[in-house]
Amino acid sequence: MNTAAMPAVERDRANRRTAIKLGIAAAAMVGFAYGMVPFYNVFCEALGLDRARPELADVHAAAMRVEFDTNVSAGLPARLTPLQPVVAGRAGGLVKARFRLENLSDAPLGLRAVPSYAPERAGRFLTKMECFCFNALTLAARETREVTVVLLVDEAMPAELGAVTLSYTLFPLEGKA
Amino acid sequence: MTAATETLNPIQGGHADEAHGHDDHGHHASTGWRRWVYATNHKDIGTLYLWFAFTMFIVGGLMALGIRAELFTPGLQFWQPEFFNQLTTLHGIIMVFGAIMPAFTGLANWMLPLMLGAPDMAFARMNNWSFWLLPPSALLLVISLFVPGGAAAGGWTLYPPLSLQFGMGMDLAIFSVHLLGLSSIMGSINIVVTVLNMRAPGMTLMRMPMFAWTSLVTAYLLIAVAPVLAGAVTMLLTDRHFGTHFFKAVGGGDPVLFQHIFWFFGHPEVYIMALPAFGIVSQIIPAFARKPLFGYHSMVYATASIAILSFMVWAHHMFSVGMPATAQLFFMFMTMLIAVPTGVKVFNWIATMWQGSMSFETPMLFAVGFVCLFTVGGFSGLVLSIAPVDTQMHDTYYVVAHFHYVLVAGALFSLFGAVYYWLPKWTGYMYSERMGKFHFWWSMIWFNVTFFPMHFLGLAGMPRRIPDYPLQFTDFNTLASVGAFCFGLGQLIFLYNVIHTIRGGVGKAPANPWEGSHTLEWEVPSPAPHHTWETPPAREVVEKGLKEQLL
Ligand code: HEM
Ligand SMILES: [Cu+2]
Repeated sequence: MNTAAMPAVERDRANRRTAIKLGIAAAAMVGFAYGMVPFYNVFCEALGLDRARPELADVHAAAMRVEFDTNVSAGLPARLTPLQPVVAGRAGGLVKARFRLENLSDAPLGLRAVPSYAPERAGRFLTKMECFCFNALTLAARETREVTVVLLVDEAMPAELGAVTLSYTLFPLEGKA
Repeated sequence: MTAATETLNPIQGGHADEAHGHDDHGHHASTGWRRWVYATNHKDIGTLYLWFAFTMFIVGGLMALGIRAELFTPGLQFWQPEFFNQLTTLHGIIMVFGAIMPAFTGLANWMLPLMLGAPDMAFARMNNWSFWLLPPSALLLVISLFVPGGAAAGGWTLYPPLSLQFGMGMDLAIFSVHLLGLSSIMGSINIVVTVLNMRAPGMTLMRMPMFAWTSLVTAYLLIAVAPVLAGAVTMLLTDRHFGTHFFKAVGGGDPVLFQHIFWFFGHPEVYIMALPAFGIVSQIIPAFARKPLFGYHSMVYATASIAILSFMVWAHHMFSVGMPATAQLFFMFMTMLIAVPTGVKVFNWIATMWQGSMSFETPMLFAVGFVCLFTVGGFSGLVLSIAPVDTQMHDTYYVVAHFHYVLVAGALFSLFGAVYYWLPKWTGYMYSERMGKFHFWWSMIWFNVTFFPMHFLGLAGMPRRIPDYPLQFTDFNTLASVGAFCFGLGQLIFLYNVIHTIRGGVGKAPANPWEGSHTLEWEVPSPAPHHTWETPPAREVVEKGLKEQLL
């Protein structure tokens, strides 16, 4: 509201009204800043995004991030999803991870998961105790199955290794696709 | 006789006021230090802001020279790395919050009432507070250098976990940011209310000067994001001392969250430092091209869309934290989109100059220099907006080059232009054109000598915020350091020229020393009397100026 032509008292009152609205907006924005905190957590969880975790924060315990990555070879009607994309590993400890494996076709499907590590030298410090990649798998039509891998982290794992990515790629079984 | 010419003597001002019913800001006949400490007059407060900003510019500048001295050759010569980091951090905070922002607020205080035909800012007392919060907050920063552990040293962005680890220097920086934020919010409320409510009759929003528009939008941005920064640093403070875990991974928090909150403030902040510069240049270029501003309406819409988009691009500062690809793409495209309204502005300035009868007095030199160099900064910004490129360039000297092109050649050059443009109005005297031109060319040359090589350093992989570097970076660093010292030295000419002008300059200034200026501030005598537009300017006066501007 243009107050230039108003008498002084009314003008001051009108100006003050505008100022109070702006002050409230500013106060609300402090609330917004704090609101970003729960929103961030919800957002990360909903989208399955990785965020900092307490179990990885303790530098003295030489924790290692193990990240899981999945790929499907072209044309294969299957899907592999890590249920926890990132887990913490400790020297001498076990790491267990679960995946959801789905057959998206209406026919039975034979496939095999082939693992690889990045960085490559990390492979030496991780021993697979149990893995769905040990054997060929056959899924019934539209079947969804949970599969697991259990890794033993070597005592000798160097602390500076920091993070390891374990990647699985699904391939069709020879002659049975 | 218009209100403009009834030069009120400040000594008698007190009596005249009662008659006008100005009970909200009784400006007494304060003299000496009282005039400044109790200042409620928008011109006095504007002057205070501008001198404060210049002082901070010198302080921050000396720190920059400390940085460049260390980087003159490889190896550690002058400072320990810890102190070097304090220098980079304080340099950033002081230049952003102490120099550039207060300078723009000072200009808004001095010029908005004059340009809009208002007697003063809407809230004169609050205005006094907004200013007087600044010196203590600056003092806190300076004191922090001398406390155990030294000043904050994690960069002006104050990222945790580093900022959770420093000594009490960090706490002082946090309090300082609180005060600065409070000052900005109050200053902004004043600007918004003044622009929205106190324009002269006939001057509708879509006819007011571009500087008023950009100040208005900037003030809105500040009201929206200064509280967010205050929130972020408060969380740092409670994480440090009161056992919260906002950013501590050990307790379930996440340091990356700070980056999101900080940049939600931080990117609009860079436009808070750019938009007023756009406004100033949009006043100066038409004046010296003797043509109305090309595309006034598109300028207004471009300003507004830049402001809105600036809330949706913050994560381009975080491309390397490990965001999902879709998020990177979103922020990448939104960032590129900002270049469109920015481009509209650049084209409009060029079109304003096109076929104009241009003359190149110092303000125009700085404005044209601004257009050229700001565009370079815009282009390097576009390069950085490409996520896959930025993962390579992030935290290298390329980024340092980018933001100094937009902030020094952008914001600072526009401020120099503004000072030369309005100095006759402020002091009543003309500045020395020869010295002004020398100041411009000197700054132009040494600015580029300092900052252009930084592009190459960044491309070659030199990280920012390091006190030492590998030998292959020596030549460009030496060059940059020489440039920086010369640039710094040149600013003393500016100071000398301003003082010289205050003391009489090269002669008396007429009410309007510029042929092509048609805004209302030129309707009052030079120097502008203590009180102006006590009664709003006559409709004809307003319309005459607007007609010249084709509005
Ligand atoms: C076309 C317009 C612009 C684009 C596309 C752009 C893009 C970017 C990007 C992507 C970065 C992040 C670089 C990194 O950290 O890796 C950045 C940094 C920066 N930009 Fe811009 N920018 C633009 C204009 C501006 C303007 C107008 C200003 C200020 C007046 C500015 C000030 C800054 C600052 C201060 C930083 C560095 C912040 C820090 O990390 O300390 N930019 N810009
Ligand atoms: Cu940005």
